[in-house]
Amino acid sequence: MAVKIFIAADRLDSVLEKLSTKIDLWIPALLKDDKSGPTGFVQYTPGITPAFDRQTTMPLKKLLLPQEETLLRFKYQKDPEGSLKTTIALDDPKEARPTLVFGARSCDVRALVTLDRVFANGPYVDPYYVQRRKNTLFATLVCGQTDSKCFCSSVGGGPADMEGSHLRIVRLEDGYLVEALSKDAQPLLADLAEAPDKSRDQLAAKLVKEASKRQVGDLDTKDCAPAFRNRFQQNDYWASMVSQCLSCGVCTYVCPTCYCFSITDETRNLEGERLRSWDSCMFYHYTLEASGHNPRPTKLERYRNRVGHKFSYIPERYEGLLGCCGCGRCIRSCPVNIDIRQVVGNLKENSNEQ
Amino acid sequence: MLETDRNQLHKCVEEALPELDMMIGWTRCDPLQTTPVFIRDAKSISSLTLGPFCSQNLAGYLVKPPALDAPPKPDAKPIGICVKGCDSRSLVALIQEKFITRQRVRIFGIPCGGTVDWRKVARHVELGSVKSADVQDRVLVIEDSTTTHRIALEEVLSRKCLGCRHPNPVISDVLIGAEVSPRSTGMETSYRDVDELDAKPLEERLAFWQSELDRCIRCYACRNACPLCVCQDRCIVETREPRWLTQHVGVPEKFLFHFIHAMHLAGRCTGCGECERVCPMDIPVTLIKEKLNKIMEEMLGYSAGLDPEAVPPLLTFNPGETEI
Amino acid sequence: MTDSNPRSSAPAEDTAANRQGIKIVGFLCNWCSYGGADTAGVCRFKQPTDLRVVRIPCTGRMDPLFIAKSLIYGVDGVLVSGCHPRDCHYAVGNFYARRRMEAFKAFLPFMGIDTRRFKYTWVSASEGQQWQKVVTEFSEQIHMLGPNPGVELRSGEILKVSSGLK
Ligand code: SF4
Ligand code: SF4
Ligand code: SF4
Ligand code: SF4
Repeated sequence: MAVKIFIAADRLDSVLEKLSTKIDLWIPALLKDDKSGPTGFVQYTPGITPAFDRQTTMPLKKLLLPQEETLLRFKYQKDPEGSLKTTIALDDPKEARPTLVFGARSCDVRALVTLDRVFANGPYVDPYYVQRRKNTLFATLVCGQTDSKCFCSSVGGGPADMEGSHLRIVRLEDGYLVEALSKDAQPLLADLAEAPDKSRDQLAAKLVKEASKRQVGDLDTKDCAPAFRNRFQQNDYWASMVSQCLSCGVCTYVCPTCYCFSITDETRNLEGERLRSWDSCMFYHYTLEASGHNPRPTKLERYRNRVGHKFSYIPERYEGLLGCCGCGRCIRSCPVNIDIRQVVGNLKENSNEQ
Repeated sequence: MLETDRNQLHKCVEEALPELDMMIGWTRCDPLQTTPVFIRDAKSISSLTLGPFCSQNLAGYLVKPPALDAPPKPDAKPIGICVKGCDSRSLVALIQEKFITRQRVRIFGIPCGGTVDWRKVARHVELGSVKSADVQDRVLVIEDSTTTHRIALEEVLSRKCLGCRHPNPVISDVLIGAEVSPRSTGMETSYRDVDELDAKPLEERLAFWQSELDRCIRCYACRNACPLCVCQDRCIVETREPRWLTQHVGVPEKFLFHFIHAMHLAGRCTGCGECERVCPMDIPVTLIKEKLNKIMEEMLGYSAGLDPEAVPPLLTFNPGETEI
Repeated sequence: MTDSNPRSSAPAEDTAANRQGIKIVGFLCNWCSYGGADTAGVCRFKQPTDLRVVRIPCTGRMDPLFIAKSLIYGVDGVLVSGCHPRDCHYAVGNFYARRRMEAFKAFLPFMGIDTRRFKYTWVSASEGQQWQKVVTEFSEQIHMLGPNPGVELRSGEILKVSSGLK
């Protein structure tokens, strides 16, 4: 059984098409008819334009944590005896089809480590998430296009990091070398393409080795938690870092490790759905209490929470794991160019001065 | 030229700062981009910049913290602010609607030759590799590790700039640099994109917006960045009672959201383009408002943000008008 | 505006209009057109049955977004009717409304929504006959246009619609 194949660039589309008959296939693709336009993960259909040459605008979290998800459906049934009495009928749809994500990057897949800790490893296990997680395989690109906003190596990952991946993709000049890293991924490669010749195989090995040596980003993330606590009440610090923040949800929505959600009942007449949808700690309503009190009334507290959650609360709770995969999406997409590396990096600087 | 203007800006701000509560301006944070800064300390003045990379409209910060203090203290010192032509119109609109008073602001007006849209730059060079960027004689010169790219400024200007009628601030206390001549003087040139879409059949227009708005992730950056979306945290798209929108992410929800933004800006939007600039999904959000702006101009002869005394047309009426 | 999306699933009465599935929403001012519709009813003028009436205190209360929401979710037509200009119960409500609705009418087609599905008009409480005429004409027009497809729930991941924007 093939464990390594070489897909020539001009055969990519036909190989993907064949692959998509075996399993639900998701790939990074252009979301707009513009080669420099926004990108995201979409289900493969013949004719879409893959975007393997740069990081996607939107992360792949929507596959595991959709922006909107029906947790259950309910229906009020009037009791024919007394019109005031109603019963509720519940319907609890859980389904997940085997899925392959082809062409995510190391940072994308590494982000799932954070999501897994929260949704899959207990104490509270989320059955919706786990269902999908179990059924999803990842073919991960060894990343060759890091830019000035990337910092995966600073947060425990790296451009060739394969943690959580089932297949590895190495991009060569004339095509893609795909290698199965786990047994359950091997059958996917059967009859797709030929095994690579020796020179391509060696070249790929060399590229992987080079990539794994690359240090991407120089953010120092050691001892962020105590530094963050020190800064917690220094309003001047947060004001000097993020006064320009618009409190929009862009940074959290494009972030592969931001997982906060809201649960609402969307009712129409006598029927409704209980929805889980993405929420953002940058929103005013996120912490608004029923009394009208809001413990995080301004963007300063809200941004502080974002940094604290990723670099202090999560590591303290989960043995040093960071809640950030260093993808840099929040930096690239922020409309006012707030750089989380700066905010985190400065936590330690002169923190006792103020 | 830019250098001289920058020096002039620094000098003017230095003179004014003692009388100011704070100064709102831009600072370079990346070869192609700037970030807003709030300056209280003379030491930081040298970080202020101006020019084609200063894309953000700062006027909205006047009605948001940290500049906002409500109710304003009677002895509050004025706030200094840098505005381009389009930004100055937002400022006028805020004055018109009495969100700020004219006395509260010290306006450093900057005639503008257009701002650079980094997305368009990405069509020409790989953004990640850009080492430095500068504009010389209306050519964007970009250095990366290997080459020097020269791109005509026209190719990379923000869409709103292409039909700009007011590149010179319509209101200011100090003018930095020389006035420039407007690129457009009439409706034909400034609403070109609106007319193009209008020329298509109805079904195509619907398909166009369905496909564009399908990408919307409802991050609400377009709303939060809009200087005239003054409700912000109280916006009806997020209230549950009344509930205008559900949390479903279908296209109808997104349509309604954009209708809400557009209708609440009807007769108030100055076309500053912030909503479009900030959209992470590259949706032509301002185009929706441009249509309404055009309607206001044709129907009522009104353009927002030009006259501080004028009343926005949907906040008033004229009993005699039967022909509208 | 709480729990009802106009795309409701409640079983409809068995009338000719319902069989065709046509739904028209009428927003009528309490002080005039609502009375006008009443007058028409009292006089037993024959009227189409596909209009569902929402009573509003004044057309000045008429938020164009009511119309937007209705049409986006697939209501087939929206009719707004209030007091004649200079006859507003609150003196000027309909003057504000007139500007808003004119602007809205001109805006709808830009978003791809057929502007013929929306009409606003003035009918006083005594004009039963006029009301009959207005509703009948509007209803006929909507039947001619057929059901409103509304905005599609999902337009698919990527529609190959090129914007052509510079
Ligand atoms: S940091 Fe940037 S992206 Fe995040 S909420 Fe603030 S302005 Fe929006
Ligand atoms: S915080 Fe920013 S850099 Fe970190 S994972 Fe989220 S989007 Fe990526
Ligand atoms: S900024 Fe763009 S993606 Fe975000 S809500 Fe506005 S249109 Fe939608
Ligand atoms: S709607 Fe858009 S263009 Fe109009 S004022 Fe607001 S941000 Fe500017």
